[in-house]
Amino acid sequence: MIRFIVCFCAALAAFAQQRAPVRGQKEFGQSCGFCHGDDATGSRGPDLVRSPLVNKDLGGDLIAPVIRNGRPDQGMPALPLSNATIQDIVAFLHMRVGEAARSSHVGGDYPLERLLTGNADAGRAYFNGAGKCASCHSPTGDLAGIAKKYAPLFLEERILAPRPPGHAPVTVTTPSGEQIDGKLDHLDEFSISMRDASGWYRSWPRGQVKVSVHDPLQAHHDMLTKYTDADIHNLFAYLETLK
Amino acid sequence: MNVNLLAKMLGCAALYGSMAAALAQGLDPAALLQPPTDTWPTYNGDYTGRRYSPLKQIDSSNAKSLTLAWAFQANSQAIKSTPLEVNGILYFTVPEQVWAIDARTGRQVWHYHYKKSDGDHIGHRGVAMWGNWLYFETPDAHLICLDAKDGHARWDIVLADVQLGYFATMAPLVVGNHVIAGVSGDATDIPGFLESVDPETGKQQWRWYTEPTPGEPGSETWPKNGDAITHGGGMTWMTGTYDPELHLLYWGTGNPNPVLAGDARLGDNLYTCSIVALNPDTGKLAWSFQPSPHDTHDWDAVETPVLFDADFGGKPRKLLAQASRNGFFFVLDRTNGEHLLTAPFIDTNWTSGIDGRGRPISLKEKEPHADGRLVYPGSDGATNWMAPSFDPQLGLFYVVARRVYSIFYYTATGKPEGWAGRDHNIWEESTLRAIDYSTGEIRWNHELGPNQSVAGILTTAGNLLFTGDAQGNLLVLDPATGRTLWHVNAGGSMLSSPMTYALDGRQYVVEGVQGVLYAWALPE
Repeated sequence: MIRFIVCFCAALAAFAQQRAPVRGQKEFGQSCGFCHGDDATGSRGPDLVRSPLVNKDLGGDLIAPVIRNGRPDQGMPALPLSNATIQDIVAFLHMRVGEAARSSHVGGDYPLERLLTGNADAGRAYFNGAGKCASCHSPTGDLAGIAKKYAPLFLEERILAPRPPGHAPVTVTTPSGEQIDGKLDHLDEFSISMRDASGWYRSWPRGQVKVSVHDPLQAHHDMLTKYTDADIHNLFAYLETLK
Repeated sequence: MNVNLLAKMLGCAALYGSMAAALAQGLDPAALLQPPTDTWPTYNGDYTGRRYSPLKQIDSSNAKSLTLAWAFQANSQAIKSTPLEVNGILYFTVPEQVWAIDARTGRQVWHYHYKKSDGDHIGHRGVAMWGNWLYFETPDAHLICLDAKDGHARWDIVLADVQLGYFATMAPLVVGNHVIAGVSGDATDIPGFLESVDPETGKQQWRWYTEPTPGEPGSETWPKNGDAITHGGGMTWMTGTYDPELHLLYWGTGNPNPVLAGDARLGDNLYTCSIVALNPDTGKLAWSFQPSPHDTHDWDAVETPVLFDADFGGKPRKLLAQASRNGFFFVLDRTNGEHLLTAPFIDTNWTSGIDGRGRPISLKEKEPHADGRLVYPGSDGATNWMAPSFDPQLGLFYVVARRVYSIFYYTATGKPEGWAGRDHNIWEESTLRAIDYSTGEIRWNHELGPNQSVAGILTTAGNLLFTGDAQGNLLVLDPATGRTLWHVNAGGSMLSSPMTYALDGRQYVVEGVQGVLYAWALPE
């Protein structure tokens, strides 16, 4: 029972902590936003997200005295706020600093509406026309439901650079004229290695054999210098309809 | 003469003798002004940044027989530093750590480990040396002076506040009685600067800020109102070069902040993404040139400003050349910054041309946007911190160039802070290019394979070019044609730039491959 109460209290404390920046945002807006902007990026007063004092603050040790005492020489009044309110504002400011630090996060949670600037009809026309997508792909075949398969950001990126569907098929011709088909393992200036049809690993010095790689993504690579951004966004808008 | 006095004199003589012996292991300042042969006393080997060695024991006729002289296993993260070599000792680094090892045998002399520290541990480029002292920057942006004899720390000063987002990776540069140290950090909107400290005491001599003070020349390239200019970034994270005759220091500066958010800082944003010439005694700006005005793609212009004297347009000139991260090669007159040449060294899609001052003109529609914009090169750059090289025998400038296709996203909804977005690479491959400095023409091209190579380049009077490919091979190429003369799979990627020295009549080439240093030489 005691264990349960301890756990419950800890959960309650954690919940209260999570709520602190939310409360702090409201309180900041009311007490500080007029000068520092509701998002703390500055207005008549300085940007607090960039403030060295805020960045060096630990749990309010630097921010709280400024709120309590103000900075009369710089026109900031002392604010008669409770300690709890000040702590909430401190939590909000730390959250804002964290958001700036994470502003480089671009991932699977990237919002669809930010990407959806294209025209699906124009995308369909490009798919069937200039883009030559239809020569390999079909909206009712391999691409059916593609928009359900990938987060919007990854769909946009995979249109341009799909993941290879496995190792590229390769044919090696030996000096004796023997042709060996397989799946490419490694190819550089000096060596070629593959898995042959029986699954065994084989390698050769590059200079002694003829190598022919059939890269299924070559057409995608070739397109990279041809797309306009409008083509990309139209194509994305079209494929996004394939749910 | 009484016995006591004699004893004192003998004691003094012994003390003097031991000091002389100690100094004999230190760095003779004259070595900094010589082409590197038995000594490699600074990050780039000498002040010119050419990474060209006059050594020629290893040459195009015998490079095929190169063999392993020794290997040193640091059991560390990847070595990105270029070792110094002074009086038979190599000094090299990874973040927080410095090693001194025997340049003849690869045996450890000492190892220094700074404390576990805050700050980005992305990599470390090496140390600088003045007399008996080494200078080492830490991830939390301290500058530490070590005794080269035993790795003992003599002093430790704070260059910048890690809590504000600064960190440090670079090898400082010693010029006269100045230790010149730069800083890193663009996750937060903080000003870049270059600092000079006294080599004996660490006392600050001057500090040059990348952004001018509001009202000073250059400040007109920032918005008049607001705080953009005081939070404008422009880190100084690669070692610069120096011309002793002109007594000018040349340094590249990094991207402006917020990194991808141009509208928050309309204007050219001087002196970010610039090559600046500074007086090393005062830190006063002599001239500047900006490879990427108003950068919105993280294209730091910190790549080595390489110095050489050569004919340009039919007359001899003191030149400075940079292959910049934005994909363009620039040649300037280093006496006054006069622009002489701009030429692409790789395909790009972000410019509409070159302006009257030789600067690429960026396309507004290729700035990062919420819906993603396809730009090449990506932020990793057409090249980056890996060393280029200039071979004066052939008049060719060599650069590891990358085709990096990337999509740039803009994430800010209100006032942008920090990065305000990011780019994702979707396809990349690497190539080594030999550029005719006088025309920008690509003389030859050697493909380095898929992925991004970050191996640097060394050229030598033996008509050799040392580098690595993007697939784990170390390479020796013919610098006139790009033909491969020697190669080895060293079991990892070369993430550093090669260096060379001769001791006891034997030439060594040292290359860092992930956590291992390899020394190559001809068979004994």
